[in-house]
Amino acid sequence: MLEERILNLINANIDSELDAAEKEELEAALAGSAEARTMQAELRKLAHLLDNAPELDPPPGLTWQVVSRLSPGPAKPSFSLATLFSSFQPAPAGLAFTAGLLLAVGFYELGPERGMDGDTSRMVGTMVTSEPGERVPLKNDLLVSGDGFSGKISVRDQEGVYVMNFDLESEERTEIEVGLDGTGLLFGGFAQPAGDADPVFDSVAISGGTLRVVNQGWQQFAVFLRKDRGAQAVDAKQITVVVSSDRDQS
Amino acid sequence: MVDSRGHVLVKRCLRGDRRALAALIDEYQRPLYNAAYRILGNSEDAADATQAAFLKAFEHLDSYDPKYKFFSWIYRIAINESINQAKRNRGHQQVDESAADNSPGPYRETEAGEFAHQVQEALMALPDHYRTVLVLRHFSDRSYRQISEILQISEKTVKSRLYSARQLMKDQLLASGVH
Repeated sequence: MLEERILNLINANIDSELDAAEKEELEAALAGSAEARTMQAELRKLAHLLDNAPELDPPPGLTWQVVSRLSPGPAKPSFSLATLFSSFQPAPAGLAFTAGLLLAVGFYELGPERGMDGDTSRMVGTMVTSEPGERVPLKNDLLVSGDGFSGKISVRDQEGVYVMNFDLESEERTEIEVGLDGTGLLFGGFAQPAGDADPVFDSVAISGGTLRVVNQGWQQFAVFLRKDRGAQAVDAKQITVVVSSDRDQS
Repeated sequence: MVDSRGHVLVKRCLRGDRRALAALIDEYQRPLYNAAYRILGNSEDAADATQAAFLKAFEHLDSYDPKYKFFSWIYRIAINESINQAKRNRGHQQVDESAADNSPGPYRETEAGEFAHQVQEALMALPDHYRTVLVLRHFSDRSYRQISEILQISEKTVKSRLYSARQLMKDQLLASGVH
């Protein structure tokens, strides 16, 4: 019967976990014991068997299954070149907005005297994470998807200010055009997540009642809308969003 | 050692980049799934445990410390998910023995496949704590130190469990005619 010490040394040797002194000790034991040599050979064979067991392929679609459980509206394989939404429609049941990672809270509101045609850098702010459990009334949600383009646009009424949250991803350079004509709303500010390495501010242009953002890749930003004092009523359903891409033009 | 690709992808994930998320899953799903399969013994549970590990990791991504390799971190989550699933399975088996999986499994179509199946059967006959150290050592190529970190046990315990696990495994294989 082999001593436990020798058995431990044999196991550690198989795992290449012996230091020089232990190696020497084991070599001496192996030289003097046929039983120890047999045991080492058997355990080596077992280790070889286990080390060389075939690897299995993970089930196909595992990546998609995980991503789809983490985020609504994952990127889809097809791409439509242009999508025109004349009005907001509720998201399909089951795909409704769950919890926004970021909600616009802090921003600079444009004073009415500035007008809408000025330098947009004066009217940008930062999106900050909402408080856990905070509930912001959801006005409407729009899921957008096409070939290589997907995401969500949601409208919230936050303390009297309409906030449009854009969370989109596109493979091609994409133009997002937001039109406010006839809505009774005016642009009041623009914000994106703090510390975003790919700012979209540079690509924002406002002209009259239309805001254009041209960008590529992942885009998350918020547009703040304030009531036009001259308007009789606000009708957010008249907001238009047109999404078109470079691929569209080719 | 720095897992720079993992770190870059994690940073992008934290910024909400869903492509980085998919890239991380693509990168690590194979070793995680294989370890889960060895511990659980069937594809369905292994896929569930792998998914659960990724979901848990992404939920807690902000708590990941980049001082450590991302793989080690997520691997540990996957092993714990698999161990927990194995415990749940054992509970169910006690309730309903008739639910045993008699499906052919991924191996059994060739002689080599039959042999691999016997190895897996022998592995499944071991107690969870022995099976887990064998999986970590032989299928996932972890060192004693890494195994002790993943399972939060001492290296001495790792050593002694491996020693006992191999003895049991050797006996199991002999009993099923594998020499």
